[in-house]
Amino acid sequence: MNYLLPERLDRLAREYALGTLTGPARRRFERVLQQSAAARVAVGVWQERLALLEAGAPAVQPRPAVWQGLVRRIDAGAAAPGLAGGWWAGLRGLWSGRPLGGALAGVVLCVAVLRLQPGLLGLEPHADSLPPSYVGLLTDANGLPAVLASSYRQGRKLTVKLLRPVDVPAGRVAQLWALPQDGGAPFPVAVVPATGSAVLALSDTSEKLFSKVSRLAVSFEAAPAKPGDRPGADFVLSGHCVKLW
Amino acid sequence: MGAEENDLARLLSRTALRDRGAFERLYRLTCAHLLGVAFRISRNTDRAEEVLQDAYMNIWHNATSYNPSVAQPMTWLINIVRNKAIDALRSGKTEAGLTQALDDEALQVAGDAQLEPPQWLDASLTQARIDSCMNSLSPQQRQALALAYYRGLAHPDIAQALSVPLGTAKAWVRRGLDKFKGCLQAAGVHGA
Repeated sequence: MNYLLPERLDRLAREYALGTLTGPARRRFERVLQQSAAARVAVGVWQERLALLEAGAPAVQPRPAVWQGLVRRIDAGAAAPGLAGGWWAGLRGLWSGRPLGGALAGVVLCVAVLRLQPGLLGLEPHADSLPPSYVGLLTDANGLPAVLASSYRQGRKLTVKLLRPVDVPAGRVAQLWALPQDGGAPFPVAVVPATGSAVLALSDTSEKLFSKVSRLAVSFEAAPAKPGDRPGADFVLSGHCVKLW
Repeated sequence: MGAEENDLARLLSRTALRDRGAFERLYRLTCAHLLGVAFRISRNTDRAEEVLQDAYMNIWHNATSYNPSVAQPMTWLINIVRNKAIDALRSGKTEAGLTQALDDEALQVAGDAQLEPPQWLDASLTQARIDSCMNSLSPQQRQALALAYYRGLAHPDIAQALSVPLGTAKAWVRRGLDKFKGCLQAAGVHGA
């Protein structure tokens, strides 16, 4: 069955969102959701509509034991060896104790995030696909991760995901720059959004643009930079750009 | 995205980084609303709180999967809770569910089970300013849609609750949703 025919997809999406899709049909559609961005968007649209039905429904305050139980469960998970929380906690120590300084931490974090959540950058695994070749993690002045960027080696698109909203001043744009490893002048890559994620067009393939780039950075500019422009303001985000393969 | 939703998005991004302070703030801001969601489906405080706690564990572990381009933060949270509550309702496997006695709360909920959902629907539609449009739905369509959304009932359950054939219940829900979508589009709300 082709689940992605528009009328069929809309019917399945609304029944899934409402909850009336049941049993094996619900499980099958959940597998479709894991593989299809179009299906996720269709469900998201219906969920947004139906969320309006919450406006007039009463809230109920939970008892304190619910939060206390949550804390106990999180502590138990963090203490158990081999769980994701363990190495996450280790990484958290890296960025809470001091700013992310080394390329190693950035690479480990990028790879870890992408392995855990390939959908984060629209990188859902396909049988014939390869992982992104170039990955960048930009952190803010406090060393907190703010932007993930990735691109395929021969790709002409850069996928960016905002890990936290960027407070872009009114009348400015968040301009992404590439910084060559030889200390050459930064060159403009694209304008990144303040929130969410985006797929940005590149002027050439990633291999040609980033093979000699060691860092990426963002500054707030009055207008999108053109080829040959130089940063007109301090970098507010920056991080290593690494080639994974 | 409004200021409140922006705040929730920021807290979710912090939660994804294992910031417990942000997670607690997220919990404090959303737990009452989300327990309401779980309670309407579970219809029992213990079961609803069990669902709520499982849902927040899911949020703690999977906050990185929140995609702001697909859903508002509150919508994402609501649907984690709804899906868990509906799964628990249909599996009947929660420990509390197997041992729950017919106490006062259960009896009261049973009495209100079919009266409250249409009232919540009406109140929500009034807030969304589409109540006049939705008045063109028949009472049966409104009740079927309300039972599906607020109680998490599937078509056979709705048919049984309203004492109508399965096909009739399905048609009421389908037409109710069609009308709901049309009203939102006419009002310029979530009209995609």
